[in-house]
Amino acid sequence: METCKGCKYFFAIPEDADDYEDGKGDCVKQKTDEKGKFWLSKPIFESGPRCEAFSA
Amino acid sequence: MNIHADVEHRGKVLKFTPENDAELNIPDDELHEHLFRPSTDRTRRLKERCRWKHASAGEFINKDVTAGIERMRLLTEAHKKSDGKPEVIRRALGLKNILDNCTLVVQEDEFIVGYHAEDPNMFPLYPELTPLAVDDYLMSDYAPQPVKEAAEINEYWRPHSLLAKCQGYFDPTDLQRMFQVSSMEAPAFATGYNSIVPPYETVLEDGLLERIRLAEENIAHARAEMEKTPWDGTKGLDWIDKIDNWTAMVIACKAVIGWARRHARLCRIIAENFETDPKRREELLEIADICHRVPAEPCRGIKDAFQAKWFTYLICHAIERYASGYAQLEDRLLWPYYQISVHDRSFQPMSHEEVVELVEMERLKVAEHGAGKSRAYREIFPGSNDLFILTVGGTLPDGSDACNDMTDAILEAARNIRTTEPSIVFRYSPVAREKTLKLVFECIRDGLGYPSIMHEGIGVAQMKEYAQYSLTGNGATDEEAHSWANVLCMSPGLTGRRKTQKTRTEGGGSFFPAKILEITLNNGYDWSYADMQLGPETGHAKDFKTFEDLWDAYVEQYRYATSLCIRAKDVSRYFENRYLQAPFVSAIDDGCMELGMDANALSEQPNPWHDPVTTIVAANSLVAMKKLIFEDKKYTMEQLFEALRANWEGHEEMRKDFKAAPKWGNDDDYADALIKRFYEEVIGGELAKITNYSGGPVKPVGQAVGLYMEVGTRTGPTPDGRFGGEAADDGGISPYMGTDKKGPTAVLKSVSKVQKNQKANLLNQRLSVPVMRSSYGFPIWAAYMKTWYDLGIDHVQFNVVSTEEMKAAQKEPEKHQDLIVRVSGYSARFVDIPTYGQNTIISRTEQEFGSGDLEFLGVEL
Repeated sequence: METCKGCKYFFAIPEDADDYEDGKGDCVKQKTDEKGKFWLSKPIFESGPRCEAFSA
Repeated sequence: MNIHADVEHRGKVLKFTPENDAELNIPDDELHEHLFRPSTDRTRRLKERCRWKHASAGEFINKDVTAGIERMRLLTEAHKKSDGKPEVIRRALGLKNILDNCTLVVQEDEFIVGYHAEDPNMFPLYPELTPLAVDDYLMSDYAPQPVKEAAEINEYWRPHSLLAKCQGYFDPTDLQRMFQVSSMEAPAFATGYNSIVPPYETVLEDGLLERIRLAEENIAHARAEMEKTPWDGTKGLDWIDKIDNWTAMVIACKAVIGWARRHARLCRIIAENFETDPKRREELLEIADICHRVPAEPCRGIKDAFQAKWFTYLICHAIERYASGYAQLEDRLLWPYYQISVHDRSFQPMSHEEVVELVEMERLKVAEHGAGKSRAYREIFPGSNDLFILTVGGTLPDGSDACNDMTDAILEAARNIRTTEPSIVFRYSPVAREKTLKLVFECIRDGLGYPSIMHEGIGVAQMKEYAQYSLTGNGATDEEAHSWANVLCMSPGLTGRRKTQKTRTEGGGSFFPAKILEITLNNGYDWSYADMQLGPETGHAKDFKTFEDLWDAYVEQYRYATSLCIRAKDVSRYFENRYLQAPFVSAIDDGCMELGMDANALSEQPNPWHDPVTTIVAANSLVAMKKLIFEDKKYTMEQLFEALRANWEGHEEMRKDFKAAPKWGNDDDYADALIKRFYEEVIGGELAKITNYSGGPVKPVGQAVGLYMEVGTRTGPTPDGRFGGEAADDGGISPYMGTDKKGPTAVLKSVSKVQKNQKANLLNQRLSVPVMRSSYGFPIWAAYMKTWYDLGIDHVQFNVVSTEEMKAAQKEPEKHQDLIVRVSGYSARFVDIPTYGQNTIISRTEQEFGSGDLEFLGVEL
C-alpha cells in the first residue's frame, strides 16, 4: 500500500528541528483559487495512507 | 468638484478650490476612487487579492469565508487528554497541541507570514469561551466542516465553558434581561467577546528563549524555597501555583517557537520545491531565516520586528484565546528597529520607502484577518472584520514630541493603501511635529476616518490617576504613563513590558442609557422591544411630579443595570483566572513572570471602564421633558407617554415641539447645563461608585461602534422626538445626527463642558470636503485641533466624504469599492455597510466653517 512517504509533497522533518520525530514530515500542498496561490503545510507521518492529493 | 462658499476672514476672502488642480476635473461622486496609491506593485497586488472578511448585517460579504474546525478540534483533543492536570497546564497543552499540529498557510507575495486557521478563507472558533457563539455558526452557511464533528465538540465544551462556570451565580431573571441586549450588553461569559494589549515589547526585546530561561530559573528558585527547612506551610504552599504558571509559560513559549520554525521550514520548502522566480525564492529563504530566529531570539532589525509582532498578535488575539483589537504603540515599539535598519543600516538595511511597504503589507495582513465572533458582534461592526486599532504619536516622559520617522511611515502607508483596518489613533499634543501632523491631516482629508485623535494630556493624566488604585501598589509610574495606547476604539490603557490590560472583563462592554430612560418611563418595563421587565419597579411616567422624581427613578434604573454589568464581568474574571488562563500572554508579561501569576489574574494597573451607548438620545430626551413638561408645562407626562406608545402617530405637533426642544451640540446653555449634569453625576458619577476586580472606580467610555444602529432598532420612540427604531446617536458625546446646527465650534464648546468622571467620549464630526481639500484645509484643521486640545476635549474623529459620493455608492456599489467612512470607533468600506447604517452617516451634519468659526479657532492664513 502506498503511504505518504512515497508522495512528492512529503518533506521529512530534519533531525535538528524542534518537532522532529522519527517518520514525521510536513505535507506541503500548493493551492490556487481566484485570489491566487498559497501553500498549506500540515504535520503527518510517512506511514500515513495516501490521500487524493498523492503524487509520486 | 463642489466648491464651498467663499468666506471672509480677517479682511481676506477665502476661496475653497482644491489644492491639487487636477481634482477640479474629478466628479464629486467618485473622488475616493482616485486616491489609492500603493507604494509598490506588490502591495497593489496584495490589496487586489485581499481576502476581506467584512460582514454586513451579520453576514459575511465574501461567500467563500467560513469557520474552520481545526483549532477547536485540536484544543478539544488536548483538553480530553490532559484531564487531571492543573488547569493552567491544560491551557498550555491546548495551545501546544494547536501549534504543533495546525495547518500553516503561506500566500503568494506576502512578506509577513502566519495565519490562524487552516485555510486563508477561514477563521477559528472558541467553544471554550461560549458554546452559544458556536451554535450560531453551526446554523449558518459558515459552519465549520464537518458540522457533526463541530457540534459534538461544542457539546463537549458546554459544561466546561466560561458560560457554564459563571451563570449559576446570577438570578436567571437578571441574565434574561442582559440577554435582550437592549438596556445592557450580554455578559462577557456568554458572548466570548474579548480584547487585550499584548506586551509585545518583551518578545521583541528579549525573545522567547530568554522568557523560557527566566521561567525555568524561577521554577528552580521556587523548588529550592519549598525545600528549605524548617517548612512554613503558610508561605511554602504559595509556590505551587507559581510553579504551575511558570511551567505552563515554558510549554507555551516552546510551542510558539516550534510553530514559528515550522513556518521557516515551510518557506524553505516552497523556495526549494515550488517557487520558480529566483527573486521570490531568495525572499522566501530570507523569511525562513527570520521565522527561525524570531520570536525565539531578540529582534535585530525591522523585518524581524514586524514578523515577531505578527506571530505574537496571532497567538494573543486568535489562537490562545480570541481577542479583538490591535492595541500597541506601534511607532514607539518599532522605532529602535527602524533606526537599526534605516538609519544605521546595520541589520536588514532598507530605505524609509521600504518600511512604508512593510507597513502596507502589515495592514493587508490585518485586513484579511478573520474573527470567529458571534452573529451579534458581527452585526454591531457592520462593514468591518473586527476592531483593529493601533496608536501612534504622543509625548516622551520628558514631555517632548514622541513622533518619529516610524510614525510617518505608518501614516504614509495608511494613506497610500486605503484599507479600513487597522484604524489608527493619534495621540495629539501641542508639541507634535508639523511633518507628522500633515500626514495625520492627509489621512483624514482623504476620507479614511482615521487617525482618530486622542488628547495626550488627558491620556497621560488618566494613566497616573488609575495607578493610584493599584492593588499591588505597582501601577504606572510617571514615565510609564507616557506609554499608553487605546485598548480598543476609545479607552486608553498602558502598553509596555507589564501592566497592560489582558482581558475585556477589566474594561469594556456596554449599556444603553436611552433604553434605560425608556423603561424609566414605564416602571422598568420594556414595552417596545423585549416585552418584559428590564429593571426595578421605579414608577410610571405619570408618577413623576417633578423632574427630580424622574431623575431619581432614572438613577435607580441606571444603578441596577451598571452594577449588574460590572458584576458579570468580575464573575467572568474570577473564572477566567481559573479556567481560561493565558500562559503565553503570562510568559511575555514581566509582572506575571516575576510573580508566577496568570495574566488574567494579575492586575497591576487598573483600567476599569464600561461603554454607555445612546447617551445623547437619553440626554436630549431629559432636556425636552424638563422644558416642555416640568417648566413650560405645555404637556403632561401622561400625554407624552401616550404619544410615545403611539410612536408619535396622531401626535405630530407634539413631536415637532419635542424635536425642536434644545439639543446637544449647539452651545445652548439650557441643554448643555442639564446634559453636563447627566454625564457627570449619573453616567460618570454613578458608574464611578462601582469598584471592579482591580480596585478602580469604573468610568464611562462613551462610544457607539455599530451599536448605535443595532440598539437604535431596539429602542422605542424617545422624548427627543425620535421615532422608535431609528438609529441612536453615533458617538459617546456626538450630537445626534443633524441636530447640531450652529457650526463646528459650537459643537466643541458644548462638548468641552463635560469634564468630570469621564474616561473617554467619542466625538464624531463630519467636515466639508471642499474646505479640507483646499489649500486652507491644513491650517484650518490645525487650528481646530489646537482649539480642541485647549478646550480639554479627549477625543475627536472625522469623516471627510461628500453626500454626493455616498449616494452614488448606494446606487452603484461596484464602482465605489474604495470609499471609506468612519462609522464610530472604526472605519468601514461604505458599500459594505447596510443601507440603514449608510443613511445614518449621510445624515450627519457636514460642518462648514463660517467666519465666526475661523475667528474662534484663531486660524492664521
